[in-house]
Amino acid sequence: MTDAMIEFRDVSKRYGSLVANDHLTLRIRRGELMTLLGPSGCGKTTALRCLTGYIRPDEGRILLDGKDVTDVPTHQRELGMVFQNFALFPHLTVQDNVGFPLMIRNLPKDQRARMVTDALRLVRLEGFESHYPRQLSGGQQQRVGLARALVYRPKVLLLDEPLSNLDAKLREEMRFEIKELVTRLGITAVYVTHDQAEALALSDRVAIMHRGRLEQVGTPEEIYEQPQSRFVAEFIGLSNFLEGRIEAVDGASMRVTVGDLRLTAPALPHTGPGQRVLLFVRPNEIELLGPDEPAGENVFEAQVEKATYLGDSMDYRLTFGQGLALRVQGDAQRRLSPGAPVRLRLPRIRCWAITAG
Amino acid sequence: MRLARAYIRGLWDGRMILGYTLLLSLTLFIVAPFLMIALRSVGKGWFYRLWLPPQLTLDWYRWAVEVGNIPEVMKNTLIIGIIATAISTVIGIFAGWAFGRRQMPGKEVAMAIVLLPRMIPPITYALGVAKIFYTLELVDTYLGVALAHVSVCAPYAILVLSATFEGLDERVLEAAGVCGANTIKRFFYVVLPLIMPGILASMIFTFTHSYNEFTLTLLTYGPHTVTLPVRTYLAVGDGYWEITSAMAVIMVVPSLVILALIQRRAEPEKLVGGFKGV
Repeated sequence: MTDAMIEFRDVSKRYGSLVANDHLTLRIRRGELMTLLGPSGCGKTTALRCLTGYIRPDEGRILLDGKDVTDVPTHQRELGMVFQNFALFPHLTVQDNVGFPLMIRNLPKDQRARMVTDALRLVRLEGFESHYPRQLSGGQQQRVGLARALVYRPKVLLLDEPLSNLDAKLREEMRFEIKELVTRLGITAVYVTHDQAEALALSDRVAIMHRGRLEQVGTPEEIYEQPQSRFVAEFIGLSNFLEGRIEAVDGASMRVTVGDLRLTAPALPHTGPGQRVLLFVRPNEIELLGPDEPAGENVFEAQVEKATYLGDSMDYRLTFGQGLALRVQGDAQRRLSPGAPVRLRLPRIRCWAITAG
Repeated sequence: MRLARAYIRGLWDGRMILGYTLLLSLTLFIVAPFLMIALRSVGKGWFYRLWLPPQLTLDWYRWAVEVGNIPEVMKNTLIIGIIATAISTVIGIFAGWAFGRRQMPGKEVAMAIVLLPRMIPPITYALGVAKIFYTLELVDTYLGVALAHVSVCAPYAILVLSATFEGLDERVLEAAGVCGANTIKRFFYVVLPLIMPGILASMIFTFTHSYNEFTLTLLTYGPHTVTLPVRTYLAVGDGYWEITSAMAVIMVVPSLVILALIQRRAEPEKLVGGFKGV
């Protein structure tokens, strides 16, 4: 018995010269909500379709609940799936849409009706049984999709960008609803999305994909706080990168030269002086200091180049050192205008470093 | 100011009158010939410059049925129409599936070839068909005339059904698969119900087309396969205008029935496009 419900073993899929999945190896644990996150064309949808059996991988095996299903056709894999465009059957009522998997399985009519009612209650859509999909709003249609996917209690629920076709407010609402439902049912779920906020909000673990490869797999905290590559850092919303070279390592911290400036950052394991590194700092973690505050560690003089009012905050582009630039989020109460001198601090523990080149 | 407003209103009214006049003349233009035929088919002693027939009669219809052998001719027309429709629809389903769902090289060229019989003058095409059919002894058979009709009916079916298949959402089929449906169940429970409007539309198009087809029939018919349009045309040659009119009116009836059915039963966008997306 293994704790992995889904396993990709060295899965590759090519379309001509385009590599959609490049030796993908990923284990998804029982009862876990795993998100495949990445920009469009990164191979996340291909991976999902390999899992449904809609695409057969060129190489590698796919295991579902310990069984090799690489050559099992889609209709025998016992999956539930929610689609981006809902993919409901337009010619069937809500009742028949949700009951479709049960009808296909030749379940007796009364049992079918009971299960459909249960599934519709689960997604809070009772009373719509005789409606047709086109009579429902986007959010309601996606609930029907969810009920159809869950009605026969599959071991695995697949969600392919289920919220992309909904408006922003509804998206956030549904996000928590899906999370809550999946947790309550204890079902293993694979969620595909390109929206990093969505991924962070509802995943147990996130797998970030880029050009068919896995960039990093980890909990939302790990992904957010300890990105392992520039791609992950950028994709997850970081925008400040400083290239430097380690000057000295001193216990838990290290000194890094960036241009003509010296910074202190947490030490990077298995590195020494001379190693080139990339430092990330989030725009909202850089502190803007008053003019009378004393100089200190990682405090630099800078100049405001651009200031944008965002309502709840100010977005600045600051220049400092020799041609270095940073994006910084500031307090909307205290506004700085372009050209103004400013003093900033990069808090040491907020400077996350990875080795570069 | 008031004067200006009155002037504008006058212009507006003028435009309305103009619009209605145009609409009325257009209606007359469409309806008048039909009205003439209908009147002539029931009029007796309607000569010279009389605006209306002096006497009404159903004699011409009796003549059409007895002398013109209309029931037999109607039977021929319907049988040929049904055969042509069946063959065209089957061709349309397969070709439409290929055109609508498959990526294949030379798709545009293939489509152009399919549409070719519709592009070249019917008489040219019909002459060629007739030559081949004489050789194959298909002339004056239901199948032969129907096959000739298929050459112009099938392109319609293919066009309509290509659009229908194109409108089928791949994701819906995928969803059916994930729900546990194998290929056969997918076809019967999902694909067929979704393309049904397209199939119906295609059948209506092809049947009407076969029913109205003249040129191709003229060169492939024989004593046993006279159809309504050809019979009517022959009657014109015989010079009996009243009987011809009666035949023409009889010929229109099924078309009107179909038109009424379309109007009442189907939403046009469903007929042509099938269901599309969400």
